[in-house]
Amino acid sequence: MNSTECSEEILKVKDLKVHFYLDHYYDRGLRDVFISALTNPFDYFFKQKEIFYALNGITFSLSQGMRLGILGVNGSGKTTLCRCLAGMMRAQEGSVETTKEVRAIFDTGTGIMPELTGRENAQLLARLFFTGEKEVKHLVEESISFSELGHFIDAPFKKYSKGMQSRLLLSLISSLPADILILDEVFDGADVFFRQKLAKRMISFIEKAGATVFVSHSTEQIREICNKVMVIHEGKVHFLGEVEDGIKAYMGLNPETLIQK
Amino acid sequence: MGYHNNMKFESELNQISELALASIKSRYRKTWAGFIWVIINPILMFGVQSMVFKHILKIELPNYFLFLLGGLLPWIFFTSTIQMGTPIFSQQGQLLRSFKVNPWVLLGAQVMDNFVNFLASFLLILIPFFLMSEKSLGMLLLLPLALIPLLIGTLSLTIILSILNIFYRDVNFVMGFIFSLLFFLTPIFYPKEFIPQEYEWMIWMNPLIYLIEPFRQVIHSFNGTLFMISIFKSLIFVTLCGFTALWVWKRKRNEFYRML
Repeated sequence: MNSTECSEEILKVKDLKVHFYLDHYYDRGLRDVFISALTNPFDYFFKQKEIFYALNGITFSLSQGMRLGILGVNGSGKTTLCRCLAGMMRAQEGSVETTKEVRAIFDTGTGIMPELTGRENAQLLARLFFTGEKEVKHLVEESISFSELGHFIDAPFKKYSKGMQSRLLLSLISSLPADILILDEVFDGADVFFRQKLAKRMISFIEKAGATVFVSHSTEQIREICNKVMVIHEGKVHFLGEVEDGIKAYMGLNPETLIQK
Repeated sequence: MGYHNNMKFESELNQISELALASIKSRYRKTWAGFIWVIINPILMFGVQSMVFKHILKIELPNYFLFLLGGLLPWIFFTSTIQMGTPIFSQQGQLLRSFKVNPWVLLGAQVMDNFVNFLASFLLILIPFFLMSEKSLGMLLLLPLALIPLLIGTLSLTIILSILNIFYRDVNFVMGFIFSLLFFLTPIFYPKEFIPQEYEWMIWMNPLIYLIEPFRQVIHSFNGTLFMISIFKSLIFVTLCGFTALWVWKRKRNEFYRML
């Protein structure tokens, strides 16, 4: 998996900036707002809100066949970047340009209606992911058999363990290739044995995708899957290039937090 | 591009109806009685209120049952949809965080689900009373004209409040309080003609009347010109709500995902 044949650009990111107002970051209610607006009206209405730049000028592009690993310490902006690429968030400045379909997966422990069975949840999710896809039924059946859930598949989804939930979802997600695939720390949750089985399927799935963005804290997984690495630090591109150099650059950021990885 | 957008919209509508069906099925499965309750609840509400206002408070109005029905059932749909829809993003936060799923599909499904319940209970009460009165059934053909603004208006307000609820977790609690006040300040069980002139401003400040008035017109006191005016007003109100909802979403989109 080391060919760095990078031809046609299929996604372009230019000077991407996303900021948030820190004002909302306390879990408050309207009643608290009412109280603070009454007790301290001047502060409440006129105080400048603090701005936090989650992404501060990111530029890169994905070409056909690229498998980009993204490394960075917690809070460096990895997930925000992925959400922008997926079209969930919108940048205040800069742009994300692509003509391809982007599929993004951020977590695997979730069903849509816990009272319904695993099979029904899989069907609903398949409809949500694969817009306009006519073979949903076939995909669902194939994923169900891959997931090895057996008769559990007709039990309510809420009775599943976390690992069983992610088994089903990962099987489903990897059943159809995407033009651009974004995987943000998705391998967590499944047990070792299933993870091994899944890894094979994921790799062939990733190979079929036009390009992949893979976020992980595990440098081992990055080595296994990616052919380029980008290190993000404090909302900026700290490094972009070959895998081994990228891992080195990442290790150099803050060795203490990386020891256990 | 336009074609592509149309396709997308169509498939989103499909997703909404599919999810709404699943949700109806899921509630139905949880308890049989639960499903009946959803329909019985507004019917009981209607029974008790019509008894109290007609026979105890003795509000004198021809066809009072139809009058009350035209105000109360849309009100129940409006408030219950907002109360059920507002927390939906907090409840489905994990799903929205995990995949690129259009949040409006989830909300749309909830609203559709409630709308089906509303229609079922509404028609269940309406048809017998309508037959007992000497009104022509043909009038009911105008109902969709009143239903569309109610649906869009409720959806837009639910969108706004459900986004707000991501930032302030007690929106639903506050709305419950506001609704309990609004119930008395909105001409639901009394006609707006009963309101003394010095209090009339309260009615015009209350946007709910724009959603309810067309119903009243169709099933109780129809007048061609007034009906057109009420539809026109409700469409203006609903358009404003719709644009506000879009504006809020555009402005808050990033923080929404951040706060989920």
